[in-house]
Amino acid sequence: MKAILIGLGVVGGIIVGLVPAVHRPRPRWWMALCVGGMGLTIALGLLPPLSGTFRDAVITWRQVNPELYVPVAGTLDWDAAVASGDTLVVPMTDRAIPPTTAQVLIPSALFVPKDASVVILAVQRWKNDQQFVVQGIVAADPILALPFIPGLEERARNLFFHVPLSWVAVVAYAYALWYAVLFLRRRRFIDDVHSVSAVSIGTLFALLATVTGSIWAKFNWGSFWNWDPRETSIFLLLLIYAAYFALRQSIEEPQRRAQIAAVYAIVAFVTVPFLVFIMPRLMEGLHPGSASDQTAGPILSTQPGVLHPLKQIVFALSMFSFSLLFFWLLSLRVRSGILALRHKIQQVQEISETS
Amino acid sequence: MEAFLIRYSIYVVFLIVFVIWIGIAGWLWRLERRLVELEQWARQHEGNRP
Repeated sequence: MKAILIGLGVVGGIIVGLVPAVHRPRPRWWMALCVGGMGLTIALGLLPPLSGTFRDAVITWRQVNPELYVPVAGTLDWDAAVASGDTLVVPMTDRAIPPTTAQVLIPSALFVPKDASVVILAVQRWKNDQQFVVQGIVAADPILALPFIPGLEERARNLFFHVPLSWVAVVAYAYALWYAVLFLRRRRFIDDVHSVSAVSIGTLFALLATVTGSIWAKFNWGSFWNWDPRETSIFLLLLIYAAYFALRQSIEEPQRRAQIAAVYAIVAFVTVPFLVFIMPRLMEGLHPGSASDQTAGPILSTQPGVLHPLKQIVFALSMFSFSLLFFWLLSLRVRSGILALRHKIQQVQEISETS
Repeated sequence: MEAFLIRYSIYVVFLIVFVIWIGIAGWLWRLERRLVELEQWARQHEGNRP
């Protein structure tokens, strides 16, 4: 199911992105799909509250940070509630499989709706693994909730933004390779415009992936940059494609510039599968899916339950929407490049006609 | 104030990201329309060339 959903997001994004062709204007429905898809990705990725279990609260207390309050979803048994000073001791059954029942200590001043069938409470382990003190209410009868992952907490939402940005960069570099090959075969400058546009936008996406990853790393691993194999590989990739622009700038003659840039784009892409898909998985590192990780990471792992169904849907949607955003930017860049190219040709023709 | 910000931080992040996206989307939409106009203008001028 996970493979189908994510596959649909990836393949659907590329197909819808390429229809209509990149050099044609984007229809209104297409732009609305992209704007809506991205808006929905942001809303579904950031708004649903996190929902954990008592086990998560115990793990967090023992292994992560004993000060942290964990959102635990469950049903409160108000009939068995007992008042103790200014707190209410209420049995609560969480939504784990199998469910666990524990006592939660709710301050009398805190309003918790009694008619709600499911509440998410911010709790912290108290005297033992069966007693939890409540700090506040996170949500009552939430429509959607994302799973709480001890050690990652809210930061797990970065998956919906960081991974699609990196993926789109790979798609962009592959697109640049394809048009570089076409240029070398057909010698049409329009193919060069496609290729250079894809490299520019791909590099923008690779930079954004690096920034989102770096901010995440600061809060999860303690430093903005850790020279993890995947960080090193994206750094190398950025250097390789930065050299592409330096190379283009250094050649004045348009035919020669396009030709050498096309050869460089082909050679540069040879490193992409190795740097993105192979090297970070062979070496030990901090990223999920590295050699030191027991799983292939939340996206590629075939183990059941690694990625929550709602996360699968939001991730597939984000892959689709980010692909559309890339093709929109690419279309704008390619079409303005073609206009500039036509203008230059026209100027050359006018000069040759007058002389 | 700090407790409020920590508790509602994800909603603050959502608001910031959403507003940025609406801004980018509006800019792209306008750019698309302007480019279509420019393409039409260029086509007309190319056609009028002697």
